[in-house]
Amino acid sequence: MKIAVIIKQTPDTETVVKINDAGNDIVGTGVKYVMSPYCEFAVEEALRTKEKLGGEVVVVSLGPDRVLETIRTALAMGCDRAIHLKDPAYEGGDGQATAKALAAALKTVSPDIVFAGKQAIDGDQSQVAVRVAELAGLAQATIVTALEIAADGKTAKATRRSEGGGEVVELKLPALISCEKGLNEPRYASLPGIMKAKKKEVKELKPAELGLEGQVGAAGAKAKRVKLLPLAERKAGRRIEAETPEAAAAELVRLLREEAKVL
Amino acid sequence: MRFAFTDDQLGFRDSLRDMLANECPPGALRACWTNDTGRVPGLWRKLGDLGLLGISASEEQGGLGLAEVDMVLPLEEAGRAALPEPLVEHAAVAIPIVEAFAPAVLRERWVPRAVTGEVTLTIALDDAPFVLGADSADLVLVWSGGALRAVERSELTLARCRSVDGARRLFSIVSGMGGGESICDGERAIEAARDALDRGALAAAAQLLGLGAAVLDLTVGYVKVREQFGKPIGSFQAIKHHLANALTALEMARPLVYRAAASMAARDASRSIHVSIAKARASTAAQQVARIALQCHGAIGYSTEYDLHLWMKRIWALAAAWGDPARHRARIAAAVLEGEGQVYP
Repeated sequence: MKIAVIIKQTPDTETVVKINDAGNDIVGTGVKYVMSPYCEFAVEEALRTKEKLGGEVVVVSLGPDRVLETIRTALAMGCDRAIHLKDPAYEGGDGQATAKALAAALKTVSPDIVFAGKQAIDGDQSQVAVRVAELAGLAQATIVTALEIAADGKTAKATRRSEGGGEVVELKLPALISCEKGLNEPRYASLPGIMKAKKKEVKELKPAELGLEGQVGAAGAKAKRVKLLPLAERKAGRRIEAETPEAAAAELVRLLREEAKVL
Repeated sequence: MRFAFTDDQLGFRDSLRDMLANECPPGALRACWTNDTGRVPGLWRKLGDLGLLGISASEEQGGLGLAEVDMVLPLEEAGRAALPEPLVEHAAVAIPIVEAFAPAVLRERWVPRAVTGEVTLTIALDDAPFVLGADSADLVLVWSGGALRAVERSELTLARCRSVDGARRLFSIVSGMGGGESICDGERAIEAARDALDRGALAAAAQLLGLGAAVLDLTVGYVKVREQFGKPIGSFQAIKHHLANALTALEMARPLVYRAAASMAARDASRSIHVSIAKARASTAAQQVARIALQCHGAIGYSTEYDLHLWMKRIWALAAAWGDPARHRARIAAAVLEGEGQVYP
């Protein structure tokens, strides 16, 4: 079975990010980058699929040099080879431009199934995976928390999470699965895995090699981020002073009812 | 000589750090003080899956055939998490000792299963009064009658001894030390005992660096939020000086530990002295960090509900294990005065 997994490198959730002077991006220096956590679920599911049905897992990612470190992490977890879309022309793209490049790269793999995170934790747009499926003509199931692939590799049954419940969908492969927390528990890169990873192939592809010159990155983007808004600063808490616990509780209830209006 | 860790070594350190942060958080460590084994359920096999237990085992026996230099960063991480597993005894000492000194039949019977974590090994040296984790070990290497023997736990009668660190389950062996099978005797056994001491002391030194770093991180975090006189106590120079001294002590000890690991890997003739320098300095540095951490925390540092004591007590225990600073300084002194091996550079 040919299995592909799309991954994105994002700032670590524990990194304190700063907005640049232009106000439209974060300052990259001093930021620790990691694999987006939802992409870790995708890599794990791809590896489990390979362990069950055999085949090969190909990692696909787009971004500058630093992304190679995250690609190596996926290879150390057990993926077989990688495609790195690395070129200045890929930079500054929106969800559509990025999806176009990734879909073209997937075409060189001809996967039976593609795994991706349900969203990246930096932009939080949840656009790329669904657009890739559309552009590549794949069936898709998003926000998947459980997956069963038929032994013949022709169909799959995916359980999706939706607000307040869930649903089960059947898919004809090839298909794209966007992965949600709960689907699996991602493995850690083992020492033998890390040692093998550096010998695995990472193929770089330029836009021209995908027939996408002038169509990716900023040139292919239809939407452009113009401003980043920092989170509003949290107000200081209020201490309730009262003679007795009962009086304090009564005052707390009054504030929740009249000021916070949550009761 | 240029010494730097490879990308593989650094990558595995990061992977192990992430794993231990998730699988061995302070709550799991705290539970080991009161559970039946002193170990985190299921964690040992996961460490085997990660390749950690087989780093120093040969490839023929299913290990990775790597050296002490490859082990030193993972051991630091184990210290950072105050990992309550017999990693030093099993992976850093017993496996390489069995590989180097035991007959083939013993090696083949035990090492492949030790690499995966299916079985646990521990070791009792002649001059160490206690054995760590003997109750949950499958095989204990014991010094008996001038020989090093491999005795299955079921053949031994054990008596539990209290440790200042509740997650370290210590035992003395009451009887059964003469059972099992011989690993080696005579000069070979003396050589094995010396090698075991060097390996254990180096591994403990590496863990002490990680323990010290974790305690320092905890303390720096605390002094940033604990306010007195209207501002964080970390803003006061007295606190800053203390913490700078703690960091300096650790940073001065770190290269000595790495040097000792490189000497062990190269089978340098002076490796025992380098290990003693590393263990003595890492022990005193970590003890100094623990003392400063306790002072900077004030009263809460004495509370068992707060996590500091879990790390601090491991520092106290490990500083004394595998030779305390006085014992290692005596080895260094003997080398200087009697010209046994090259002490510096």
